[in-house]
Amino acid sequence: MAIALHSEVYVSQDSALHRWAVRPKLISLLALMFAIALVKHLVLIPWVLAVVMLLYRWSQLPLAYLLRRLSYPGLFIVAMVSVLPWASGDTVVWQWYWLALKLEGIQTAALIAGRFLAIVITGFVLLGTTPFLDILNALRSLGLPSLLTDMTLLTYRYLFDIATQLATMQQAMRLRGYGVVKQPLQQQWRQLVALFGSLLLRSYERSQRVYQAMRLRGYGQNTNLSYISGSRLDSSRVQSPHSLRRVTWLATVLTLSAAFSFVLGEWMLSRL
Amino acid sequence: MHIPDGFLPAQICIGGYALSGGITWYTLRQIYKTSDPHEEIPKAALLAATFFVGSAISVPIPPGSVHLVLNGLLGALLGWYAWPAILIGLLLQALLLNHGGLTTLGINAIIMGVPALLASQIFQLRHPLGQSFKPGWSVGVFSFLAGAVGFGLAALIFFGLTVFTIPAALDQATEQKALITLMAAYVPLMFAEGGFTLLTALFLLRVKPELLES
Repeated sequence: MAIALHSEVYVSQDSALHRWAVRPKLISLLALMFAIALVKHLVLIPWVLAVVMLLYRWSQLPLAYLLRRLSYPGLFIVAMVSVLPWASGDTVVWQWYWLALKLEGIQTAALIAGRFLAIVITGFVLLGTTPFLDILNALRSLGLPSLLTDMTLLTYRYLFDIATQLATMQQAMRLRGYGVVKQPLQQQWRQLVALFGSLLLRSYERSQRVYQAMRLRGYGQNTNLSYISGSRLDSSRVQSPHSLRRVTWLATVLTLSAAFSFVLGEWMLSRL
Repeated sequence: MHIPDGFLPAQICIGGYALSGGITWYTLRQIYKTSDPHEEIPKAALLAATFFVGSAISVPIPPGSVHLVLNGLLGALLGWYAWPAILIGLLLQALLLNHGGLTTLGINAIIMGVPALLASQIFQLRHPLGQSFKPGWSVGVFSFLAGAVGFGLAALIFFGLTVFTIPAALDQATEQKALITLMAAYVPLMFAEGGFTLLTALFLLRVKPELLES
């Protein structure tokens, strides 16, 4: 399983978007994503993509980061929308025997792909410039229940350990002949059930030890898990509060204005 | 069965967030009614991580192999905690694997989470309805139903959303044909999900029955 590690998702830089306070950044970028999802007119897509690419450039994230993270969802979206130009619409623009390329289908595919690309890149900007724990902290300060944030933190914390454990167990299975020696289907299923069941069992037993350790540290007695990560503290140390406020205001106003421009453009086009 | 960003109109994405927000409020209320919700958090979190990782296990179903969804089993084992576990799993999938999306998180949570909650209730039915059976039989029957219904309902919601939202200009006959083909392909998967859930539940009944009683 290709789970991206934290170091692969977050890129440590000193751009304005990295210094942008997390709460307004989260709200502004989510507003921008929803404004992009609202776009139904293809004519707005170049403007949307231009804004998002400017935002990406402002974040100083490397192009290689975009290409690496875009490869999997990019292939997925191509596979999903590529059928539309052949199956959707009436206006035939090109035909070869029964295979007909239709204008409406091309437009729908371009709209969906454009919206997808813009939202995904906005997501990369958010994740590439903000450590995951800071996002979690911001979500909690925005009122997300502590049960959800605590569960998220623990799931995230143990995800990589369990993935490593699964990889080790699978390797042990292969060394004992699973997938190498031909086995009846029933036996393969029995082994896979034992693999997943054992993984569940190990996690359950580990969770009891984790809970006992957390109780000893005072968890559940008006204390919650701590989320403060180093990077946010570091950036506040090197930047004056005035400079941080200015960056936050500028980035928030520009992003929300861009989101508003998409909504306004969509509204005006739908009235024509 | 995750809908990516950009596929659905914003109104549906926002509606999905509103509905999943309501379900989150209700499930948290049910969780807080238990004696010590904090005690269950590490268990739910680690099992959620295990399901996240476990869904990558490739299960052979001739002529190929598939990755199971396991939302029915998750519901059967975690009860009300299945909803937050799915919500968190989907968020992490969107962030770490680029699978699903942030704007469609609410809708995807409904697709996976509502069937998981239903599967949890089905699995609980073994107490009032399965008393006349041996423990192995009652766990087996209701875990199979939980797994199969959990997956089947998720597929139905997913196809329903696909039909009603994407895209209006699609030829009706083509759409119907594609839909019937896809749904037919999902029927054996429903049995596979039910079967895997049954075997896992029986495995746990043998080695750690307390895990099924939560």
